Amino acid sequence: MPPDDFLPILRAESLTKRYGKRTALTDCDLDIPRGRLVGLVGPNGAGKSTLLQLCCGLIAPTSGTLNVLGARPAANAAHLAKVGFVAQDTPVYSSLSVADHLRMGAQLNPGWDTALANRRIAQVGLSLRQKAGRLSGGQRAQLALTVAAAKRPDLLIFDEPAAALDPLARSGFLQNLIEFVAELGASAVLSSHLLGDIERVCDYLIVLCGSRVRLAGDVRQLLATHYRVVAPPAELDRLPGETEVIWTDRPGSVVRAATPPPAQWTARPVELEELVLSYLNRAEAGR
Amino acid sequence: MIWMSWRQFRAQALTGAAAVTVLAVYLVFLGVRIRHGYHDTLELCHRQGADCASATTEFQSRYESQLYFMDAIVLLTPALIGLFWGAPLVTREFEAGTHRLVWNQSVTRGRWLATKLLVAAAASSALTGAASLLLTWAASPFDLVSGNRFSTLLFGTRNIVPIAYAIFALVLGAVTGLLIRRAVPAMALTLLAFVIIQVLVPNVVRPHLMTPVSAAQPMTAQLIRNLSFLGQHPTISGLRIPGAWVTSSSELLASSGKPVDQAKYDACIGAGFDTVADCLAGLDLHVDITYQPVGRYWSFQWLESALFVGLAALLAAFGLRRIRGRLP
Repeated sequence: MPPDDFLPILRAESLTKRYGKRTALTDCDLDIPRGRLVGLVGPNGAGKSTLLQLCCGLIAPTSGTLNVLGARPAANAAHLAKVGFVAQDTPVYSSLSVADHLRMGAQLNPGWDTALANRRIAQVGLSLRQKAGRLSGGQRAQLALTVAAAKRPDLLIFDEPAAALDPLARSGFLQNLIEFVAELGASAVLSSHLLGDIERVCDYLIVLCGSRVRLAGDVRQLLATHYRVVAPPAELDRLPGETEVIWTDRPGSVVRAATPPPAQWTARPVELEELVLSYLNRAEAGR
Repeated sequence: MIWMSWRQFRAQALTGAAAVTVLAVYLVFLGVRIRHGYHDTLELCHRQGADCASATTEFQSRYESQLYFMDAIVLLTPALIGLFWGAPLVTREFEAGTHRLVWNQSVTRGRWLATKLLVAAAASSALTGAASLLLTWAASPFDLVSGNRFSTLLFGTRNIVPIAYAIFALVLGAVTGLLIRRAVPAMALTLLAFVIIQVLVPNVVRPHLMTPVSAAQPMTAQLIRNLSFLGQHPTISGLRIPGAWVTSSSELLASSGKPVDQAKYDACIGAGFDTVADCLAGLDLHVDITYQPVGRYWSFQWLESALFVGLAALLAAFGLRRIRGRLP
């Protein structure tokens, strides 16, 4: 058996989840290496929450297989200890105080890091005696993040954690998130429909649209292999073998190419946002 | 996990404890008064060696309504526990979304549910037990005089069976909540199911917990007076025999073992209200009955408790299987 470090944090093979007749995730194949901050982007209803809830074992797949850190999600208590999850809307117990939440974390997690938890709570300015129900959205998210991180997981999963926050709170939250991941030496998966968040935080990208994975890969590698080119449509059809047109609109086309496009074309590197949008547009058009 | 379950349950448990404390104070007060009342009327009468029928009636009527009220409270307690402790136990987590927080701590869902159930079941047993045992103590002189501990109301509100009802109601509520995932419908369904079971068990199941004894019971004037029903035909109901719980009785039979002659029966019935009993007693009638001897009372208490705790265990096992296996 290979040492843990070489195991992918997440490996999915034809992973499918259906709710009745509605398919939330179709034939999803993923193989994500360790130590990454993975961004999961896609429009609302694309299946992001479904994929993340599958990953932490809150729901079970309809078919296909999914391995998280080398085992079935939520396989046992030891595996649960290795995965931290912050759910959408960052649920907390409204009648319990901040201190109660920390005590819950300490009681329910053998690897609980009391010092880390207390330090973080103090840093974000939360009072231990405050009831969680009276916290602001941003404070609640910070509390949920602290509870998930102080169990010192190998993988942190965030489901739209910053969606409901105002820009300032969001910025603080994301900053905290990056610091946590760095301090724990953990991998993380973060979903968002806000590309800006992903761009700021992540080094690995998954684009999900219409229940399918449209794109997955290292951000730098993706940026290095995509170009925006302006070329006559007739010439676009006669592209070199390795080149694929993703999407064409007014200022030209986004293409995927292993090598830089021919010099006679006007070509420039893509930005992450237009890269993602081109895949999303293609997915929408292909429905 | 025990701390967490208790922390979440604390407010409810303390509310329940406060209610039971009020009830307990009243029951102690009532128990002392009943003992005084017994001393003043029946004991005095017995010592004088007189006929104590009127003293008995007076004693009974003095405390009857208060004890009925207490019986009703103890009868209702398990249902309330099922409704307000059982049904919300997991639905509250689903409705607030907090199951997504707690299910991602390093505790499996099975252990989470099992601990929650155990903590709430312990609290339910303690509170119901306190109420039921105090009522049993308070009412004991009264129950002794009434002599019908096997009646549906008395059997179900005395000694240990209420504890078993409470445990069952709690688990029923919790597992219903687990399946339905919303508190209010789960509460409604829990109440419905619990009421149906509380009607079925005393009438259909309890008489068969042990094989009844068969006997021929001579019908004395005293027994006939206490019947609740005498029909056009020689059928009877409401036969009460001291020292036995009658589970079935035949129609009135003559000494030959055949039904009493209708003409003779009509003659007695037509003779006038006051003389019916003596007239019928003169015919040397008997009925074939099956009954449970009153000495089996504790066997029945234990058997029925075991039945309900067993059902609760089965339900809990189903809930645990469900929460572990098929993820919602």
